[in-house]
Amino acid sequence: MEKVKFSIDGKTIEGVRDQSIMEIARDSGITIPGLCYHPEVKSSGGSCRLCLVEVHQAGRMRVVTACNYPVRETIEVKQETPLIKRLRKTILELLLARVPDSDVIKELALEAGITETRFKKDEGDDNRYKCIACQLCTQVCEEVVGVSAISMLSRGPDKTPGTPYKKASATCIGCGACVYVCPTNAITMKDSTGIRKIWGREFTMHACSACGNHFIPDAQIDFIVKTTGKERTFFDKCPDCR
Amino acid sequence: MGLITSKENLEKYREQIKASEKKDIPSVLICFGTGCHANGADEVAEEFKKAISASGLKINVNIGFKTTGCHGYCENGPLVALKPKDILYLKVKPKDVAEIVEKSIKGDELVERLLYKDINTKQIIAKYQEIPFYKYQKRIALRNIGDVDPTSIDDYILKDGYAGLAKALSMKPEDIIKEVDLSGLRGRGGGGFPAGKKWKSCRDVESDVRYVICNGDEGDPGAFMDRSTMEGDPHSIIEGMIIGACAVGAHQGYIYVRDEYPLAIKNLQIAIDAAREKGFLGKNILGSKFDFDIKISRGGGAFVCGESSALMRSVEGKVGEPRAKYIRSVEKGLYDKPTVLNNVETWANVPVIIKNGAKWYSEFGTKGSKGTKVFSLVGKVNNTGLVEVPMGITLRKLIFDIGGGILKGKKFKAVQTGGPSGGCIPDSLLDLQVDFDNLTKAGSMMGSGGMIVMDENTCMVDVAKYFITFLVEESCGKCTPCRDGLRRMQDILMGITEGEGKEGDVALLEELCETLTWGALCGLGTSAANPVLSTLKYFKDEYQAHIVHKKCPAGVCKHLITYRIDEAKCTGCTVCAKKCPQKCITGERKKAHVIDTAKCIKCGVCRDVCKFDAVCVD
Repeated sequence: MEKVKFSIDGKTIEGVRDQSIMEIARDSGITIPGLCYHPEVKSSGGSCRLCLVEVHQAGRMRVVTACNYPVRETIEVKQETPLIKRLRKTILELLLARVPDSDVIKELALEAGITETRFKKDEGDDNRYKCIACQLCTQVCEEVVGVSAISMLSRGPDKTPGTPYKKASATCIGCGACVYVCPTNAITMKDSTGIRKIWGREFTMHACSACGNHFIPDAQIDFIVKTTGKERTFFDKCPDCR
Repeated sequence: MGLITSKENLEKYREQIKASEKKDIPSVLICFGTGCHANGADEVAEEFKKAISASGLKINVNIGFKTTGCHGYCENGPLVALKPKDILYLKVKPKDVAEIVEKSIKGDELVERLLYKDINTKQIIAKYQEIPFYKYQKRIALRNIGDVDPTSIDDYILKDGYAGLAKALSMKPEDIIKEVDLSGLRGRGGGGFPAGKKWKSCRDVESDVRYVICNGDEGDPGAFMDRSTMEGDPHSIIEGMIIGACAVGAHQGYIYVRDEYPLAIKNLQIAIDAAREKGFLGKNILGSKFDFDIKISRGGGAFVCGESSALMRSVEGKVGEPRAKYIRSVEKGLYDKPTVLNNVETWANVPVIIKNGAKWYSEFGTKGSKGTKVFSLVGKVNNTGLVEVPMGITLRKLIFDIGGGILKGKKFKAVQTGGPSGGCIPDSLLDLQVDFDNLTKAGSMMGSGGMIVMDENTCMVDVAKYFITFLVEESCGKCTPCRDGLRRMQDILMGITEGEGKEGDVALLEELCETLTWGALCGLGTSAANPVLSTLKYFKDEYQAHIVHKKCPAGVCKHLITYRIDEAKCTGCTVCAKKCPQKCITGERKKAHVIDTAKCIKCGVCRDVCKFDAVCVD
């Protein structure tokens, strides 16, 4: 594997060609903020724009997103610059106005010294007002789980994830991967004994034969058995008791 | 002849068509472009067929797309041209047809009332090459539109069609690319990236499959260059694409057309089928062992699908959303394969560049921008329409000589170029030589070639608000700056035009502009701030007038204006009082009238109907 060496704010770090700036930086212990990128979701990233950095190369400067910019040659990356600080500040204020009650965003803003947004706060009580439309949920559903039960609905400011026509989806397996990856905890999933509620649908849960915990929706077992050919008996016990 | 299997066969076939052309009988060419269609070209054509058969004359009635239709007189359509006399008639109605046949076809007279009359000089001009509107044009991309029947491949072949392809097939692919590179052709879709360099990068990427795509998703308000080409000369695009495919080594091409262009889709499909039948598409093209075919992909009407990466996702059948282009499309484009995407006008230029050579083409234009550019000249200008001019022409010449100046003799204020994410250029820059680099330097851009002329009655804050509103609606919503930044800009602009503007608004706008320009994901977002940036740059005083003085100098923003009747000018004709929907104008006959401003909804009807210019806006 071809190695590449480059610098972030003067510190030289090394990674593999075509790895993203963010991956290499994180491996080297350098923090770059970001909400919409997940290493296990191939097409994720590029949406929240919090990881904007300057890339200097051959006398030219570009602003790129660190999460999906593949490093191929020696470049100079800078994030501690007035421009990047301004851009990230405005973006945080925009997010703060979009999801004013999100603790994640509030905390990130506070770290950047922002306590208030100059824009009018959006108001409403459905998930749209917690969601930053980063698409991680729809991407994980399509690419990792492989069911595509949810997708981004509408466009522009109203863009939000959901099932087709916002109706209970027959495709959804209730796995909750979308909830797991959501950076702002915008997706509601409720588990009560034996029943899981998500995306407007109720799923019956399968109980562990050893501890009795309801650990997986039946629909998910069906899906895994169908797509992988795994024996149904594999799910008799939960991962902890296996 | 069915299948044409070699270069020699093509030339033989061309001779055959030429020989069968009846040069001695006159032709009537009726514009069948969208504009003329809407104005009743169908009925006019029917009437001509009837009148001609009744007269016993031998005449070709050619229902073609007259360039003239797109030459500024769409509003004056249906257009009828007579060949070989080269007479152009405007606004022809079915009832005029008999007279035209009698006087101008049978006889040698002109029907004067249907001829072009210059709005400024009042001169009447019969021959269309002499009309100022065409005189300054140089038509390369639009070379055939109006002369050929777009549904006839023979007509295209007659105009040296597919000669460029025949030549290209005998060249090495590298040499085709070199020729295009030397010609200086830059992408006409907006970015202005050198076409030859793009093609070379694509060819240089190792891959078993490559694609070429034609971007026909023209979505800018007021732009219809590509529409006219697709509707009026589809073979020029197809031929260009085959040459491009041959150069980069692609065997499949796609033409992405927005579904709002049904005639373009129809004529392109007819052309593709005809080209396949003749052997210009399919296996072993002209006996060269090169295979290539084209499919049409219809867009669903999202503006963002004109952006290359979103377009490719859309062709794949996915949601048309842009992706980061740190790895370019020439390396990973459609289905992640190396892809060359050029727009309609770029492809239409390619056949003649190959046929006539790079040197010929590069003699037109400026140092950095070779060739010609098609503009759609619209707005408050006398001659609206499509014009193709050499790069480097001044805005003044475009607007005042070709465009015939501003409507109703009003004062020029600005010209908006480059579509919604372009910018507004003020009168101080009227002598700017139009090319890619100069427009960018002026804070606007070439875009695909839209040019909207604005007069003194245009409010620049309102213009910025209009374009930002358009972009808010068309933003795909994937990235934060575009999805949320644009609507915050819209909020601020809305406030300013409604009298709620406050100190700090301009600074906040500028900050949002910066965030979009540097921080948005795709070309739509990074250029979306241009309408605000350019109006702030050249018309800051107008923003100040709105914010500080709560006045709209152009008299457009309803919240900031009041209507008043000038007593000295009012004749008491009562027309305004009759037309006022609020019934808030009162006054005695033959005495000055008064508007009750408390009831007035500022609809402007009184001002429109007043023949004495007595209604003023304060």
